[in-house]
Amino acid sequence: MKRVVILIRVKTFLEEVKSGSIDTDKFVSDVKASSSSMQEKYAPFITLNEGFGKATPQKGALQYLPVSVKDCLCTEGIRTTAGSKILETYVPNFDATAVAKVKAAGGMILGKTAQDEFGFGTFSTNCAYQVPKNPYDPERTCGGSSGGAGCATAAADFPHIAIAESTGGSITAPAAFTGTVGLTPTYGRVSRYGLIDYSNSMDKVGVISKEVYDSALMLSVIAGHDPLDSTSHNKGSEDFTKYIGKDVKGMKIGVPKEYFSSIDSNVKKLVEDAIAKLEGQEAEISEISLPSTKYAIAAYYIIAMGEASTNLAKYCGMRYGKQDKISGEFSEYFSSIRSSGFGEEAKRRIILGTYMRAAGFRDAYYIKALKVRSLLIKEFKAAFKGVDAIATPSMPMLPPRFDEIAKLSPLEIYNMDKMTTAPNLCGFPTISIPVGTSQGLPVGMQLIADHFMEGRLISLAAAAEVIK
Amino acid sequence: MSIMIGLEVHCQLNTESKLFCSCEAYPRDAQPNSSTCEICLGYPGTKPVINKKAIDHVISIGLALGCRINPESYFSRKTYFYPDMPKNYQITQYEVPIASEGSIEVNGMRIRIRRVHLEEDPARIVYADGNLETASHVLVDYNRAGTPLAEIVTEPDMKSPKEARAFLEKLSTILEYLKVYDQSKGASLRVDANISVDGGERAEVKNVTGFENVEKALNYEAVRQQNIVRLGRKVERETRHFDEVAKTTRTLRKKEFEEDYGYIFDPDLPVLDISDEWKSKIEKGMPELPDIMVKRFLKQYGISEYDAKVIVYTGKDFASFFEDVCRIYSKPKAASRWMINYLLKSLNWRSERISQSKASPDTFSELLTMIDKGEITERYAKELIKEYVDTGLRPSEIALKSGAKPSLQGLRDIVKKVIKDNTKAASEFAAGKNDALAYLIGAVLKETGKRGDPKEIARMIKEEISNASVAQ
Repeated sequence: MKRVVILIRVKTFLEEVKSGSIDTDKFVSDVKASSSSMQEKYAPFITLNEGFGKATPQKGALQYLPVSVKDCLCTEGIRTTAGSKILETYVPNFDATAVAKVKAAGGMILGKTAQDEFGFGTFSTNCAYQVPKNPYDPERTCGGSSGGAGCATAAADFPHIAIAESTGGSITAPAAFTGTVGLTPTYGRVSRYGLIDYSNSMDKVGVISKEVYDSALMLSVIAGHDPLDSTSHNKGSEDFTKYIGKDVKGMKIGVPKEYFSSIDSNVKKLVEDAIAKLEGQEAEISEISLPSTKYAIAAYYIIAMGEASTNLAKYCGMRYGKQDKISGEFSEYFSSIRSSGFGEEAKRRIILGTYMRAAGFRDAYYIKALKVRSLLIKEFKAAFKGVDAIATPSMPMLPPRFDEIAKLSPLEIYNMDKMTTAPNLCGFPTISIPVGTSQGLPVGMQLIADHFMEGRLISLAAAAEVIK
Repeated sequence: MSIMIGLEVHCQLNTESKLFCSCEAYPRDAQPNSSTCEICLGYPGTKPVINKKAIDHVISIGLALGCRINPESYFSRKTYFYPDMPKNYQITQYEVPIASEGSIEVNGMRIRIRRVHLEEDPARIVYADGNLETASHVLVDYNRAGTPLAEIVTEPDMKSPKEARAFLEKLSTILEYLKVYDQSKGASLRVDANISVDGGERAEVKNVTGFENVEKALNYEAVRQQNIVRLGRKVERETRHFDEVAKTTRTLRKKEFEEDYGYIFDPDLPVLDISDEWKSKIEKGMPELPDIMVKRFLKQYGISEYDAKVIVYTGKDFASFFEDVCRIYSKPKAASRWMINYLLKSLNWRSERISQSKASPDTFSELLTMIDKGEITERYAKELIKEYVDTGLRPSEIALKSGAKPSLQGLRDIVKKVIKDNTKAASEFAAGKNDALAYLIGAVLKETGKRGDPKEIARMIKEEISNASVAQ
């Protein structure tokens, strides 16, 4: 296995750009060459930005920093497919708000990273394009659905931050499997404008990066209210890097027992070690219980599929995306476009989602799932009265091999999300940090905090990072 | 056989921009698909942001219809595939609408309002050859997509097509008074009418514009359903289309089951909180409603209830015109008589609203004053109004210009002169001899060259002679 070399840290790079000690032309061509060879090896991208580095970037916090963007975020003039064949030819005429903020801060869009189609997956294997390969072992998954973002972050030998997105764990999973940091902000913290919808009540734009500092920096850039997104919270942004280096002494960490049963023993040990190390810095550790967690996966998939099935209705071969010669009736035309344009998992979720919101089933599934969500939020909120953060493994296992994944049933795959669905369903911020390797494969720990408490997560994650 | 009718009225709301984006809502003379953006075309990644003005409008409709304004209401997605739907779901309100449970009185009947909710209009479908059944393809104009609509749903409280029409006429006047609906901008009212006979299954006639059409569609439907019942068969639950040319309804689709739109809460739009402050702000800003205005007119102007209702329900512009005339001209009864009987007729003949016409309170008051002064006869005034509405010229100018018509500004002077020249006949008439009146009229007509209304002349002679007697 080839361990990725961090040639230069993001923080150092940005300081050196400011002081003028970086040959930016050389840097741009080096990054282009390097990302091309990275693409050949691991395929993190669906589309590399042909125009990378062509325009002089804006002055700002990210000046000259290569930033990759998950393919479900719209980028003006750069093809945006969300991992789907149905959008193979779609070139948006506007930037997602998060992308516009990155550009305004001087970041340079490197390319669009691979993902499961519309975010429907845990291993990035439900992708209509190349499946990204884990830089730790190309026979294994990078996780999903933001697999390309994790892959690029792990594989890049240049300073880089990835804009990713999570609905039910799509940042935590790839961060854990690629040994990177994944920050999933509170729902509403970052604008969703320009994010191609999977499940709007849960979709969150976030970050995958090499270091906690990088994630905190990027969150500072992309957070904040957006008048174009009615669900974006009225809070402004702040400098989240200031939470790095804060003393964690006396901070209370809850360890929910439900999250440590029936998981890979190597994963369990490494996460417990990391928690013990935080305890060594005088964080107060206590066992807690979140019994309703067992309903989280079911509730998550019902709501997610219900919403997704309406979101995907718009793809019908009119106005944008995949088109065909028009013949027959409208229903015949759009059925043919959708049959050939959507992958198997997308079709599965449309059918299940449509079923779960249909008259007669709606109350038993969709409405009930919404109630479970309220119940889970209450349970977590009660826990946050006693603890500042909750620590769990990020994923219940080591990154599986592609041939192993091929043998899994959809339900077995859905069950892999058991660490991440509850906080994602409830809109709580989480951070996944690497806590070591087992059999040469990375393991992540997930920290969960109350809404808008990203600062606490960053302090704890940075403390855990220092001791790694 | 008893008839039950319930209506769903879709009113395009009077806003500058569309419901969820900043595109112009009623672009004038716009090319198809020019008033569109990535949001109203439903491009991937775009999100709706609600137009507050549209919410204001629905609150005021709710209040005017005596509804409860719900402090929390929700937006939902109604999913179905149709080429006029940019997202293949419509953002509407399902669980809790902005306003619930009101009623209005129409000709002494109380029509209950079930709900008033806010939703987006789909695009406009244009049949390639103008006909739904024969067109080989359709064209779609998304300029209309995203126009704010208020949907007003009644209980099935109307018992005849005529009642349904009366309800619609009253409702549209209320909407116009509220300034939430402005036809002059191109906004329309579209009606889905549900009708059943003798408690049988109902048929829904979709998307009818024009109240006359609604009445016709319902009449046709009532007869159709009654015939089915008479033959001992059962009316089927279905959706029907009204053919505006043939004035008949046709099956669009059978509804064996309740349509399944798979409603979910729209996760892009938060709960709509309407505070008491918001509600009372709208309440305070609400204009005088038609029924209240009728009562005020009775009191303030002393006109008949019939006249007051005609003036008020003809439209807000007509009522304002009346009030403006009354500010200049001191006889409200005469003003209302002339406005209703003649001015309105001429306007209707031209299918023109008073606000679009060339008539003005100032010039119309001049006309009324000319009649009073006897400068023109009533008979001629009726003629003159037509030309006045056609040309917008001042009535005095029309009267002067018109050679063919009697220039009777001096009619009263002629009458005076004739009386003076024929004192004998005048005193005979004063003494009660009616033949003398005929003689005097003849003398006046001789002077005018047979121009002038004999009745009018007779009235003037009587006035002049009685004035003279009083003077003596």
